[in-house]
Amino acid sequence: MVISKKGNGRTIAKINQKIKTGDAQVLTAEEMKKLVASSGVEVAYKEVDVVTTGTFGAMCSSGAVINLGHADPPIKIQRAWLNDVEVSHPGAAVDLYIGATMMSDTQPFEYGGGHLIEDLIAGKEVEVRATAYGTDCYPRTKLNTTITKDDLNQFYLLNFRNCYQRYVCATNSRDEIIYTYMGKLLPRFKNATYSGAGALNPLMNDPDYETIGVGTRIFLGGGQGYVIGEGTQHDPNSRFGTIMVRGDCKTMSSEFIRGAAFTKYGTTLYVGIGVPIPILNEGVAKKTALLDEEIFTDIIDYGVPRRGRPKLGKINYKELKSGKVTVNGNRIKVSSLSSLKKARKIAETLKTWIANAQFYLSAPAENLPTDSVCNPMRQTEEIAFVNGVTHAAVTCRDDEDIEAVAQRIISKSVNHVVVINKQGEIKGIVTSWDVTRAVAEGKNRLDDIITKKVVTARPEETLEAASRKMAQHHISALPVVDRDKKVVGLITSEDIAKLRGR
Amino acid sequence: MKKMDRILLRFSEENVEEPITAQVILELGIPIRIVTATIDSHGGDILVEVPAVHVEEIVKAFRDKGVVVTFPKLIDVDCDKCFDCGACYALCPVDAISFDEDYSVVFDEKTCIGSPCGLCVNACPARAIRLVEQHSRNQK
Repeated sequence: MVISKKGNGRTIAKINQKIKTGDAQVLTAEEMKKLVASSGVEVAYKEVDVVTTGTFGAMCSSGAVINLGHADPPIKIQRAWLNDVEVSHPGAAVDLYIGATMMSDTQPFEYGGGHLIEDLIAGKEVEVRATAYGTDCYPRTKLNTTITKDDLNQFYLLNFRNCYQRYVCATNSRDEIIYTYMGKLLPRFKNATYSGAGALNPLMNDPDYETIGVGTRIFLGGGQGYVIGEGTQHDPNSRFGTIMVRGDCKTMSSEFIRGAAFTKYGTTLYVGIGVPIPILNEGVAKKTALLDEEIFTDIIDYGVPRRGRPKLGKINYKELKSGKVTVNGNRIKVSSLSSLKKARKIAETLKTWIANAQFYLSAPAENLPTDSVCNPMRQTEEIAFVNGVTHAAVTCRDDEDIEAVAQRIISKSVNHVVVINKQGEIKGIVTSWDVTRAVAEGKNRLDDIITKKVVTARPEETLEAASRKMAQHHISALPVVDRDKKVVGLITSEDIAKLRGR
Repeated sequence: MKKMDRILLRFSEENVEEPITAQVILELGIPIRIVTATIDSHGGDILVEVPAVHVEEIVKAFRDKGVVVTFPKLIDVDCDKCFDCGACYALCPVDAISFDEDYSVVFDEKTCIGSPCGLCVNACPARAIRLVEQHSRNQK
């Protein structure tokens, strides 16, 4: 065996030659990290030709393009449903795109495009229903049939954003359970979730995309597919790179492509992807040695439904994989949403394929961009938020006399007094109506008339959401509180009406 | 800690008024921990934890008094559907869900408390977890 001289580097052609003769040295990313730790980068570079990676997670921007073949009489499909999942008809007569997140009309949130793709890959028969307006060349207006994958001319997975380099860790500050694309988040930071394979992730092992680009052959859903470019929202500078991929579903296995349902969020597709990293030089070798503890991500409060969700801290993937994280000083359990077991199996499978000369590497025609940016949406309508109309709240303590509170209502000419404790945390609310009733019913203690279960608003909430709350609860004001329940002000329906009337 | 076993006591409309659980504890002098109870005047279930070394005599004592005793399966995980993501893991309040070395998700059916909880069920993206109904009502 000839070892190429240092600096000279390997080429993909040379590696493929070794794959052909069965001489290629292939390690999974996990094995490579161990080798670098024990023997150093130089030795690892000399000994290893290819490092395999893997990830298996929910990838919502996925879908499949199918071609049904022409009907007789022919139809130019306008709308179509497969197993009651509406599919889009973006092109000519019988080409359809199954979006992973499109939900069944009859079983929404439980069955969707992702499940449909999985069922087709598994060889199941699915029902096709379509309607059309009818043309001189395509007269048909209705279609009902059943198909399996064998009946399709083309059945290609075509995913426009997959394989995020890393992702955030999600938790929830609210007083209620929330259901998100990051899973079920219990109230008051009782749990957390994360996604991604960490040091086994494909893009993390080639973070500068020196070997990955358009035309890179990959493991995709149990078959062989290709990277066809950077994915949407590709954000290399923040280490949030993504890829766009394509692969023949007819060669895939439902072991590595799974439909999934996120309660109250929607359906999606779990996709298995493995990318081989050719160890072209020592620099590339060194980057594949990156460890879980070196990959950091933010802990994010998904309780705040805004684009700029608050960051609560930083965490690395080693801690995430341990199952426990510290949020606000408390140790809580953290769930992985992607499967580390499957990610490993993918890296192993790809390694076996290469070792058995069933998979050859391809040089990218163009590398993934390293300088693109991911901008927020341009918005032309103004969105009003609670903090825009919040004014100072008139407050009292719960041990004050009703009389004192009544005087404050008059002197400040308000209808709502917010009850707070020493720390400024909300304890209740008293309205002028409550005081009037106290007089009528002969009640003397403030405590008897306080409404203790108060509906509140957060400063970052939209006014729309706040006014919906007021309408739902038949109330005319909401104390505005921060994440620690401290009162920062009050908004009234009057404030909102004034803003609307402007 | 002593090894504990879980048994499900099923009371009927006829015997639910009797202080059977207390009688068994007093007669045998063995402490019994009540995990969950779903019960009213028509009968119901009590899930209890008993010291494993005494399980046979406790089961016999309850059965002698007309209580239907079973070793309950509270949760059913479909291993073909499960793809070992672990979305369920952090939701479990009794630590019945864990990972083993190869990152397989492992359910400890003996620790799971079943239907009073069920937090993991709708958090499973693969819909692989099902609570096993104990069908206590109207069943003699």
